[in-house]
Amino acid sequence: MDPTTTQLEDARPTVLVIDDSADVHRLLKARLKQEEVELVSVTDPREGLSIAASQTPALVLLDLDMPGMDGFEVLRQLKDTPGTHHIPVIVVSGMTSMQDKVTAFELGAVDFVCKPFEFTELRVRLRSALRVHRLLQMLSTRAQLDGLTGLWNRAYFDQRLSEEVSRCARAGRPMAVAIADCDHFKSINDTFGHPAGDAVLQGLAKILRRECRNSDAVCRYGGEEFVILMPDTKPSDAAAVCERIREAIEAAVWPRHPERKVTASFGVAGTSQATPNNPAAFVDAADKNLYVSKKSGRNRVTMTELSPSLAGAPAAAA
Amino acid sequence: MTHSTPPPSTPTPLLSEFANDPEMAELIESFTSELPERVQAILAAAGEGRVSDLKRLSHQLKGAAGGYGFPTLGEAAGRVEDGLRAASDPTAALNAIAADVRALVELCTRASTGKH
Repeated sequence: MDPTTTQLEDARPTVLVIDDSADVHRLLKARLKQEEVELVSVTDPREGLSIAASQTPALVLLDLDMPGMDGFEVLRQLKDTPGTHHIPVIVVSGMTSMQDKVTAFELGAVDFVCKPFEFTELRVRLRSALRVHRLLQMLSTRAQLDGLTGLWNRAYFDQRLSEEVSRCARAGRPMAVAIADCDHFKSINDTFGHPAGDAVLQGLAKILRRECRNSDAVCRYGGEEFVILMPDTKPSDAAAVCERIREAIEAAVWPRHPERKVTASFGVAGTSQATPNNPAAFVDAADKNLYVSKKSGRNRVTMTELSPSLAGAPAAAA
Repeated sequence: MTHSTPPPSTPTPLLSEFANDPEMAELIESFTSELPERVQAILAAAGEGRVSDLKRLSHQLKGAAGGYGFPTLGEAAGRVEDGLRAASDPTAALNAIAADVRALVELCTRASTGKH
């Protein structure tokens, strides 16, 4: 995933409407035609829950009084499920007692619109909820980005690593982690100044992003260290990607110091078959291999397969 | 504009508030054309004492009618629903709301697109 292509720029956000009345769906379709939204209509609350989980809409419009499953129960489940709890929900209901409103907000609804609706009011409330959602998304993405390079940051990497490791472990998929460290970075800083050092980090980030695939997560790990998360990738393939990156870095010409080449060392670790559910083992092994690359002359890639014995090791003994 | 004069027995048509809104024309058309079916279902549920069906049908109509520009119809449906909710005993409920059901059915038969 590339930070520049997240759903932030989603021009037509999806709005999921869960209401047992076919009339409501028809009316909303006509009345929200001018809005820049994609309406998904569901009359069955249970189907609504599963679509919310699979499509993660930008907004849910939820009826309360439905046969089969109460709207409050739908709301409770949406808010209790990790994949859907962040989706804003506007309750639309003919049940308009104060207690119903209070319950809806306490369960996590962002707004409450009474039925029969004034469509002008519904439209502006919908826009307002989408606007707030977009800003929150932007903030949470910003908190996961590195300011200098625009890559994902360490916090993002740590979270994504455990997610991907457990996913690959469950699915019996391979997985690899690569750590890259700029060689003699301190001397570049000392010789050409910190702005030149920053330009090198930005240039390295650009090369990393260009050479990696969309499915890889390229992160700044700290200082002059980068880490690449490569799900569904064998360590040998990961090493080949790193070799390509290494060559690209070596070949790059730096406007601030054309006479001075920049190189990087790499440590790669991974599993070719079943992935052990042990995120820390990947980082530790990649780090050791990086150390080997540094010790044996820098500007190279060192790769190892994670030992199968780690499969039985307790998870995350970091 | 020439209109054929309705026969004396025809009640005053009830027009949608959105009758002049082109975006709504088609929807109002399908709503009014489906109303006789809804009336049948409401009358059947009331006649056979199916209280929960009647509650659901009136609830749906309450929510929908206003959206199509028939707020009085929606309010009438709301009175039926409220009456059913308020009563503890189903038979008593049906008796208590008999007049409200008649009023609702009467409004439904008058609802019109305004075109003939």
